[in-house]
Amino acid sequence: MSAYIPAAQESEIPDPGTLLVEVAERLIVLIHAAGHFYALDDVCTHDGGPLSDGPVAAEQGTLACPRHGAQFDLKTGAAKTMPATKATTCHEVKLENGTLFVRLNAE
Amino acid sequence: MTSTLTRTTTGFTQEAFDDFLATRNEPAWLTELRRNDWAHFLEYPMPSSRDEEWARTDIRPLKLNQFSLPMAPHSETYLSGAESGIDGKGTDVSGSPCLPQTVLAQGVDLGGRTSSLDGYPCASELSKQWAEQGVLFGSLDALVTEHGQRLRPYLERPVVDPTYDKFAALASACWCGGTLLYVPKGVRVEQPFHALSAMSAGPDAKGTDAKGTDAKGTDARGTDANGIDLSRTLVILEEGAEATLLSETASTRETGAGLHCGSTELLIGKGAMLRYVNLQNWNMDAWHFAHQRAVVRQQGTLQWTIGALGSRLAKVNQRVALIEPDAEAQVNGVMFTQGRQHLCYNTHQHHQAPSCHSDLLYKTALQDHSRTVWRGMIQVDPPAQRTNAYQRNDNLMLSRTARSDSIPGLEIEADDVRCTHGSTSGRVDNSQVFYAMSRGYTRQEAIRMIVAGFFQQVFDRISIESVRNALGTAIGQRVREL
Repeated sequence: MSAYIPAAQESEIPDPGTLLVEVAERLIVLIHAAGHFYALDDVCTHDGGPLSDGPVAAEQGTLACPRHGAQFDLKTGAAKTMPATKATTCHEVKLENGTLFVRLNAE
Repeated sequence: MTSTLTRTTTGFTQEAFDDFLATRNEPAWLTELRRNDWAHFLEYPMPSSRDEEWARTDIRPLKLNQFSLPMAPHSETYLSGAESGIDGKGTDVSGSPCLPQTVLAQGVDLGGRTSSLDGYPCASELSKQWAEQGVLFGSLDALVTEHGQRLRPYLERPVVDPTYDKFAALASACWCGGTLLYVPKGVRVEQPFHALSAMSAGPDAKGTDAKGTDAKGTDARGTDANGIDLSRTLVILEEGAEATLLSETASTRETGAGLHCGSTELLIGKGAMLRYVNLQNWNMDAWHFAHQRAVVRQQGTLQWTIGALGSRLAKVNQRVALIEPDAEAQVNGVMFTQGRQHLCYNTHQHHQAPSCHSDLLYKTALQDHSRTVWRGMIQVDPPAQRTNAYQRNDNLMLSRTARSDSIPGLEIEADDVRCTHGSTSGRVDNSQVFYAMSRGYTRQEAIRMIVAGFFQQVFDRISIESVRNALGTAIGQRVREL
């Protein structure tokens, strides 16, 4: 199991909002929605493009791909709507003293 | 040369550009050209995923302000051996050689060679035999100073459009060093020429900063600058000339950031023949942006081979224009990716005149989490009747987590043409592995053999043995057990 790695400051991400960070050579999108923080791979599994510019729907708990609209579950990374059919990788996040830490999961 | 280049101002700012120009000993017309292109660089936005061409290539982690323009090495800026870690005998006592080992020229009888570090020339040699026949070969920097008036038309009307995008403008405004090969009318050079563009590597960011984006440290040589290479390659073959140029890039260390932003311009005259090999072999932390274009005139022939093995991210625009009748171009691409590499090659075969022939074959093998994007286009203009054009991209997926995007395209405005394209992607066939293992091979040997067989089709098209061997060896070393 990998260690928690500091990735960003809590104050850097509005609610709702996203922030792209690079953690151990991987691009991760941090999401702030309804008071909670989430971390997903910055990869839409439909076309391999980035997710981080997409809109966050806090009520549905999803992040949408900015190109074709595929929605991914913030808690699990699961693909909720077409055209994506596979989950994007979800990572663990914890907040300590205003700093967000991410623990990477394998793809 | 055992120098460490100095850089005064970080980032690509107006102040840094003015400092850069101040170090150049160039004619006024060239300085003016640079200023025009610099204005374009400042004006253009960074490409984003909203641009169709960049939709599959994400460069948001690239921070241009972590790199800086190299300032000319002169005696005052050389570090002493003790400071630089170099003992003054061409050996770097810190453990990394001054220039990396070359692979394309092994065992080849060369007609000339040139090398550069961070765009500045280290050494150039040209056989007396070819120099006496009017051949020019060496650092573009040095030869522009010496033969400015002869080269001026080629630099004033560049083959690569400097207004294409921000990186094209940067390469045109700030090119530094690079290679010139000029072969006069009717001269046929049998021996290949060799050019090495080396780039120093910045401090290793791994493990020093969790975000990995702003890590600063000090490398073994006591410098904290990231590598930079803004080299430009210009090849001019006049009517009936013939030549071979082997060009390769490499980093001085296996890790450490670097940025290459350059251009390659190939001019093949009437009835001329050029064999050009370009091996991109930077380390896995380097960014590689290149605009490359060849123009082939009547009955001219180009054989262009690309090897793409290195870099963290590469975005290359490779274009061939056949502008007069009966011109011919063969383009070969060999790519092998691993780790989290992302290589994007956009190829363009532009038929502008009748009865021309172009044939493109790109072969790619991918392992780990790497990704390639190949976007090919055959464009046929209305006058280009009796065109014969082909493009093909084959991808061998060596892991389930690799990804290859292959997008062939045709844009045809003539009605008497033969234009075809194809693309394949697939995994290693387990029954082939089983068969080879049943004959006594280990699993890894079997996979290496299958990968070698996959590339054989493109190797068979490469007429230079040292290039086939170098690419075959490099790929064989990279293949891991599946």
